[in-house]
Amino acid sequence: MFGERAAELVRGLHRAADGHLPAFNEDGIRQVLEEMKALYEQNQADVNEAKSGRSDLIRAIKFCHCSLLRNRRCVVAYLYDRLLRIRALRWEYGSVLPNDLRFHMSSEETEWFNQYKKSLATYMRSLGGEEGLDLTQDMKPPKSLYIEVRCLKDHGEFEIDDGTTILLKKNSQHFLPRWKCEQLIRQGVLEHVLS
Amino acid sequence: MFLSDFRKEFYEVIVAQRVLLLVASDVDALCACKILQALFQCDHVQYTLVPVSGWQELETAFLEHKDQFQYFVLINCGANVDLLEILQPEEDTFFFICDTHRPINVVNVYNETQIKLLVKQDDDFEIPAYDDIFRDEEEDEDDSGNESDRSEPSGKRKRFEEDIMERTMKRRQRREWESAMVMFDLAWIMSKDLNDMLWWAIVGLTDQWVQDKITQMKYVTDIGTLQRHVSRHNHRNEDEENSLSIDCMRIAFEYDLRLALYQHWSLFESLCNTCYTSASLKLWSVQGQKRLQEFFADMGLPLKQVKQKFNSMDISLKENLQEMIEESASKFGMKNLRVQTFSIHFGFKNKFLASDIVYATASLMENIEKDEPGADNFIKALDSLSRSNLDKLHQGLELAKKQLRATQQTVASCICTNLVISQGPFLYCYLMEGTPDVKLFSKPVSLCLLSKYLLKSFVCSTKNKRCKLLPLIVAAPMDVEQGTVIMVGIPPETESSDKKNFFGRAFEKAAESTNSRTLHNHFDMSIIELKMEDRSKFLDALISLLS
Repeated sequence: MFGERAAELVRGLHRAADGHLPAFNEDGIRQVLEEMKALYEQNQADVNEAKSGRSDLIRAIKFCHCSLLRNRRCVVAYLYDRLLRIRALRWEYGSVLPNDLRFHMSSEETEWFNQYKKSLATYMRSLGGEEGLDLTQDMKPPKSLYIEVRCLKDHGEFEIDDGTTILLKKNSQHFLPRWKCEQLIRQGVLEHVLS
Repeated sequence: MFLSDFRKEFYEVIVAQRVLLLVASDVDALCACKILQALFQCDHVQYTLVPVSGWQELETAFLEHKDQFQYFVLINCGANVDLLEILQPEEDTFFFICDTHRPINVVNVYNETQIKLLVKQDDDFEIPAYDDIFRDEEEDEDDSGNESDRSEPSGKRKRFEEDIMERTMKRRQRREWESAMVMFDLAWIMSKDLNDMLWWAIVGLTDQWVQDKITQMKYVTDIGTLQRHVSRHNHRNEDEENSLSIDCMRIAFEYDLRLALYQHWSLFESLCNTCYTSASLKLWSVQGQKRLQEFFADMGLPLKQVKQKFNSMDISLKENLQEMIEESASKFGMKNLRVQTFSIHFGFKNKFLASDIVYATASLMENIEKDEPGADNFIKALDSLSRSNLDKLHQGLELAKKQLRATQQTVASCICTNLVISQGPFLYCYLMEGTPDVKLFSKPVSLCLLSKYLLKSFVCSTKNKRCKLLPLIVAAPMDVEQGTVIMVGIPPETESSDKKNFFGRAFEKAAESTNSRTLHNHFDMSIIELKMEDRSKFLDALISLLS
């Protein structure tokens, strides 16, 4: 049946857990594009025939045309949804993505990601006077300036804004400014202690 | 030097700085640390907390962090040795020491710049005057005669100084405030005290009492002090109209039974495993068991009820339980079964006495079950003091029950098999390697508790009048592979004992004279580790030293 493989593409992406980016389905896209090409050529031939008289092919032409449109819609939905997920990755992980996620993106998607990073950076720099404003910090309104964190593994020295360094050793607890800790909390080096 | 105004000379100095907190591994230190952390979080003081369990860890932590911090706060460690000599800090490093270990080293007292002691000067410390101990260089030069004579007079003077140093070292103070209470007092002076901090101060005080480090009189005095704070913070409960919701935390004064963990255990178990009752009733003997049954019969409590979990006991029996037990107990020779204490209450299910929390936190801190490094256990114990970590607290209570049971069984077996021998100037007991639960006693606080229970029970069981006044040394295997033994010395059990312990110096001297391989790693100098082979000659040296 026409349009099966395209639907399979979309279903595959839908199955992936919320926000998770599965590997780029190169094969699936290629098959759908081949199907579209075959349909299109078939249609071209039929249209020429229909022009020269055979009017019973018109329904077949209509049907193939609908399939083509359906395939196109599925492919575009697939690509667009992936782009939305990649955009969310920038807000969650920062500028540097973990390796396994990078392998899941096609080269065009990587290109898109870089362009997106650049325009986000330009925008952030243009706000807030001279230094710019980092919009990716503090996604939820913070309750306090400083938070208590506990070190889960040895991380070595860590520098904070006023130039002083802190030695992050396993099982030591620190009371640090929130914005410095967020990165390390996401990486799993520090743990926020709620008391 | 001693600080007089803690707020100006300590808190306002460090509030603008980054501070390193070095905290020793005992419950009083944990409570003081929690109070100080709460104050720091209120004022946004950037701090780093490093747990230390001995002098070596203290030195390592200092070396790692000395480039990054200038202000160090030491809780329950550091007062009883010459800190500057051990750590060799830079000129601009400052140490604030809040420590209950006595005697305070004279160098720490007379250092004007770098060492500040957060100690309440309630009464005289019997510290000799500065001039008696330290002599100026110029005096030496003026007094010296010929070149040849020079060595001799200064030699004599040096010996004289050392003499005074020794006498000073042995001097002990009468009263001291627990670290947790010092911190709470600081918070109160700054009007930043909360009910939570008051509870931690209560737990710190109760810990010192449970470990027998303060006298009964001091305990009662401090309870009185805290009672004023408790009524100030918790008066809203009496007023019917404006009372707080049941989920809010409230502290109440209790004149409650001295039985360990009895509300979270069964009454029977608690009576068997509390040192006071077990020693008075002599529960290690058959007659003791009979006496226990008589005790319950006297109170009219059926055995079936008493062996059940306390919460499931009949309400009619629980109603006047405390008065009933007190009456019957005085017939059996236990006059002080009730003691003044506080309890905390939040939610419908959660009611704990201060001593419950002490036992739970202490067992969490010395948990040997999973063989984790000490710092992990410290963190768990620190967490269990917050009210949002009830599961850790319950875990601690279960561990505490195991520990109390093990302690009681070990004491019973030691008394029954006469393992406590009199060596002349002291009593001695060695726990063999095959003893059940001996691994539990490879930790200092557990071993100290065991020793105190053992001494109390021994005093109740022996007929020898002289032996009742002797101190006790207990040794237990610490690490079987390395062949080390941990040894603890505790003062004798007397009615008016002021809990002074001179074993620290004695151990040091004995180790020196016999060249034993000892490690004086603990902050409390009366706890040492030594190699198994050196045990006998060490003991012989001690005997000759103390007789």
